[in-house]
Amino acid sequence: MNPLGILRQFIKGLTSDTDPRQIGWGIAIGFVIGLIPKGNLTAQLLLVLLMALKVNIPMGLITMFLVSFVNPLADKLTDPLGYALLTAEPLAPLWTALYNMPVMPWTGFNNTVLLGGLLAGAALFVPVFFAGRAFGVYYNATLRDRVMNSKFVKSMKASMLFDWYFKEGV
Amino acid sequence: MRWSYLAPRLTLIVLVWAFFFFAFDPILKWGLIKGMEKGAGARAEIASVKTTIFPPSLAVKGLAVGDAAAEYTNLCEFASLDFRMEGRPLLEKKFVIDRAALAGLKFGTPRQTSARLPLAKKEPPSEFSRKLQAESKDFALDRAADVKADALSAYTVNPDDLESVKLAKELERKFDEDYKQLFEKADMQRYQARMDALKAAYDKAKDEKNFARQAKDYAAAAKELKKLTEDFKRDKADLERAMAEAKAALKSVEEARRKDTAAVMGKMKLPSLDKESLGRMLAGPAIAGKADKAMKWAAIARRYMPQNATAKTMAREAARGRVVHFPKDKAWPSFLIRELALSGELNLDAPLAYEGRIEGITTQPRLYGKPLVADIKGAQGRRRLQANALVDATGDTLEARALVSYSGMAVSGLQLGSESSVQVTIGGTGSFDGKFAAAGEALSGRGTFNIAGASFAPKADAVKTPQLRSALLGAFSGLDTASIWADLGGTVKAPKFSVGTDLAAALAAGFSRALGAELKKAQDAAAAKVDAALEPYKKRLDALTSSKEAELKEKLGAGQQSMDSFADSLKEKASPGKIKLPKLKL
Repeated sequence: MNPLGILRQFIKGLTSDTDPRQIGWGIAIGFVIGLIPKGNLTAQLLLVLLMALKVNIPMGLITMFLVSFVNPLADKLTDPLGYALLTAEPLAPLWTALYNMPVMPWTGFNNTVLLGGLLAGAALFVPVFFAGRAFGVYYNATLRDRVMNSKFVKSMKASMLFDWYFKEGV
Repeated sequence: MRWSYLAPRLTLIVLVWAFFFFAFDPILKWGLIKGMEKGAGARAEIASVKTTIFPPSLAVKGLAVGDAAAEYTNLCEFASLDFRMEGRPLLEKKFVIDRAALAGLKFGTPRQTSARLPLAKKEPPSEFSRKLQAESKDFALDRAADVKADALSAYTVNPDDLESVKLAKELERKFDEDYKQLFEKADMQRYQARMDALKAAYDKAKDEKNFARQAKDYAAAAKELKKLTEDFKRDKADLERAMAEAKAALKSVEEARRKDTAAVMGKMKLPSLDKESLGRMLAGPAIAGKADKAMKWAAIARRYMPQNATAKTMAREAARGRVVHFPKDKAWPSFLIRELALSGELNLDAPLAYEGRIEGITTQPRLYGKPLVADIKGAQGRRRLQANALVDATGDTLEARALVSYSGMAVSGLQLGSESSVQVTIGGTGSFDGKFAAAGEALSGRGTFNIAGASFAPKADAVKTPQLRSALLGAFSGLDTASIWADLGGTVKAPKFSVGTDLAAALAAGFSRALGAELKKAQDAAAAKVDAALEPYKKRLDALTSSKEAELKEKLGAGQQSMDSFADSLKEKASPGKIKLPKLKL
């Protein structure tokens, strides 16, 4: 996804796909991406998934950045969790097989924080989704109009380039 | 077929293609330039970067990295670097290059634009370089001609200003702490508990009725006794070594005393005429800059050179979390260039083309299992260049050795010394031989530059006295060779350099001829003043080391006696023939 595409999705998502469930899904996926290191194929695939699904992208991206800020704290949980999984004797054949597969090393599965982050993200996915959905209700009721009337969104919408790029409007 | 379905997907493919076609190479080029600028602390330029995906390859053209220390000079530049990566290892995030080619590599080339980066701090010369330059510049000659032995009589030496006194004080403080630790280590109380336990074990074994159990207990006790004697032996050897090191440290006070004498002479504007000082004065400035550059290159190489395979692997681990490795059917190092063909030019005034190859450049040498080998050759007319290097990091410690030989080069305008003292410009035919080695952290090596058929043009404008000036100018007549050398020692973290030249002897003879015994007397007077100031501290240090050493030896002797008698008493307790006790030779 090119940077312009992400920006386009971001602005568009502020007004469309704002159903509380879509906001909840966006926040839950963004939460998982935020927990794991970004310089690997897993994070990139999750990001593509966030863009490809009909979920609220801006909320996903905002959640991702917010969670990234608390990573030093989150790593204290995800690192030992991942280490325990990666060094568990019964799972050794699985990890060894994955380690010997082409492309798999690019996913960074053998990084303790990535594996622990994925697991923690999966475990918290549903609670975060529900919390996100509740936030979606609140956003639609109180915040959406204020966001749409903000100077940033207005200036973006007023630009000719923006008008040309988003033919269908936002 | 629905165009509404196909169009967005085709657009995506076109966008991805366009990104790689138009944006990827410029982004990579920008990243490379920024990375090099950060590493070198100076501007870097690249003419072009071209990548291909099928097959994975990279071509870099026209790269130049500026020198942070010289604004309009490049640290190095090359015309092209081409390599192809192997596809299969790339799928496993491993960068394996079978053959790479680096062409047109040159060092110290001039540049049209400034290499200075905005806001970049100017790199100061190293401490070693600064000292050498200062020593040559401040070499005193002003009053050499009218020197009298009593010139120093009015001069007062403050002990606190002397390096030798500072060192003696520092050693005294250090010895106090070290000896305290050594005494603790030599204290037999440390072994008493183990000896008591061992005695009890032997007593218990002796009273044991069951023969098989008794033999087993005796065997266990004998094993413990052996371990005890070995521990004692090792501690004793450590103590003796520590004492020897303390004695060796006293030699450094003597070295500092010589330098203090030279410094006192310098403060009185009188030259120090020992060959070492003269050698440093002459060869220092010429070697300081080159040594600085060599140290800079060594630091860059060291940054990318693993001490061993494990160290590098740990160092490149992820910024977050830990990376757990698993057994591999076929393991490639993370980065490997099997063979790099190298060509370029040396010596820009009279270029000498060279070519060669470097094999086994890798971040995981233990995994690759082969050392890095470099072999470079060049020849043009009478000039010959030969360089070989071997860096073996496949074991626990890094072992490296390099040989460089460059002969037949024309030397003109090589300046030794300093304008503020004596300067000599040398011409002739030069040859350089260098031999360097590293074993773990320890460094060693010597580089010698010999000039044959040498012509000397000395200059001593700073010397006002005609008699002395003429003696100095004549000191080089009759010479037709010159040799300058630099020795390397110490460790990677704290390298030590020393420089010298055989011309120092000629210069010393010139001084002696001109000044006779007067300067020698002044030198003796300066040495006497330094000795007098140092004496109380040196005496105290000598007394401290002698008394502590004697005390420590006595303690060790008593300890050994105690251990011997303990072993003998156990021997008596153990029934002969049942168990063989270890022989104690401590």
